[in-house]
Amino acid sequence: MKKITRTWIINGEERSVEFPPARRLLDVLRENLVLTGTKEGCGEGECGACTVMIDGEIVVSCLLAAGQVRDGSEILTVEGLERTPGGRLLQNAYLEKGAAQCGFCIPGMLVSSYAFLRRRPDITDASIKDAHAGNICRCTGYIKIIDAVKAAAERWPADEVVKS
Amino acid sequence: MTAMESIDIAFPQTLPEALALMADEATRGQPLAGGTDLMVQWESGVRPPPARAIDIKHLHELHEISETHDELVIGGAVTHAHLRRTAMIRHYAPALAEAAATVGGGQIQAMGTIAGSIANASPAGDLAPSLLAADARVVVASVRGERNLSLQSFIRGYRKIDLAPDELIVRFVIPVKKPTEREQFRKLGPRAAQAISKIMGSYRGEIRDGTITRFSVALGSVAPTAVRLPDVEALVVGRTLDAALLDEAERCAAASVKPITDIRSTAEYRQWVSGRLIRGFLEHVGADN
Repeated sequence: MKKITRTWIINGEERSVEFPPARRLLDVLRENLVLTGTKEGCGEGECGACTVMIDGEIVVSCLLAAGQVRDGSEILTVEGLERTPGGRLLQNAYLEKGAAQCGFCIPGMLVSSYAFLRRRPDITDASIKDAHAGNICRCTGYIKIIDAVKAAAERWPADEVVKS
Repeated sequence: MTAMESIDIAFPQTLPEALALMADEATRGQPLAGGTDLMVQWESGVRPPPARAIDIKHLHELHEISETHDELVIGGAVTHAHLRRTAMIRHYAPALAEAAATVGGGQIQAMGTIAGSIANASPAGDLAPSLLAADARVVVASVRGERNLSLQSFIRGYRKIDLAPDELIVRFVIPVKKPTEREQFRKLGPRAAQAISKIMGSYRGEIRDGTITRFSVALGSVAPTAVRLPDVEALVVGRTLDAALLDEAERCAAASVKPITDIRSTAEYRQWVSGRLIRGFLEHVGADN
């Protein structure tokens, strides 16, 4: 199989990577780029553990052929959160509220929370639940995750907001 | 390397390039946009991965959202996330926006496309009922030219659509909801997100001077395809909405669907709920009228 090369901005850094075009983005991230923070849960788009953000939109990286991610795309994985004030705030809010139990869903959960908060939505239980509807926590620890998102929203930096 | 990784993907930059690839058997491939249905089928082995796929996700011609005259035009690669967020769609085709907001979770909504949902042609696809109830049309293209068909005739049967091997779905044309009309999408499933519907439906209707002047309704997961309910429509249009008509319409709806029992629900439940959904839609169009 011929391989293709794509150059993306991953967690703020330009990276070029070569892979067969239909390789799942999940595998390119974990194996080619050794960004193993992103987890594989179900492998069929149900659980959200493999969630990453591409150009502001959350996707499940297990259902995305990496070749479909265009050159120049900005990809955020859980490893990139510590780069921004909002990302660090969010990580600390999860810690403070005890939002992680076994932790396997947390990388995807955090990315969904981050994409949600960047849109500066109305913060309600309903809107938080809707934004995390594609992320399943096998420990069923949803209450503390919702608490963490609310806590982060209260102090969310104004310059980490995008228009939807 | 997995079987799926052996798929050769072509990356045309424009719609004409994509159509040219589709025109030639040697370069033709499975059109691939959001991948939320196809990737699952290929990875699980439900369908064998094709030798070739053609990436149409980013073709700018398939991302149009516009309103002309009395119609909304929505490009085939517009995602569910954009359907639910775009003010123009929420205003002129609110039931479609509501339906898009119930598909999967945020990730699936950001990936899956309107054309993909229709092309997958599952009776449980959430977008078909609201498009059918709005009398939507679909435009398909090939190097031979465009065809403009009613969605109702485009959906041919269980997982079957009227698409030639060299054609792509390009856009949907949807008559806008008039200010005097109402519409609503409703869905029943085991949980709100990430669950395939037991049954879902949508209507567009209008009452003038106490008389029902329009009632277009479609249900999903009650037949091999999403279906309009012409018997119910004929029954209620021209009538006054009252308790007797609600009872009649509920019975008529239950009698006019032939659902099956499968892993998600039973025929009996789906038949009963079909009647209740129709009653609910009539109450919705009649509220404060």
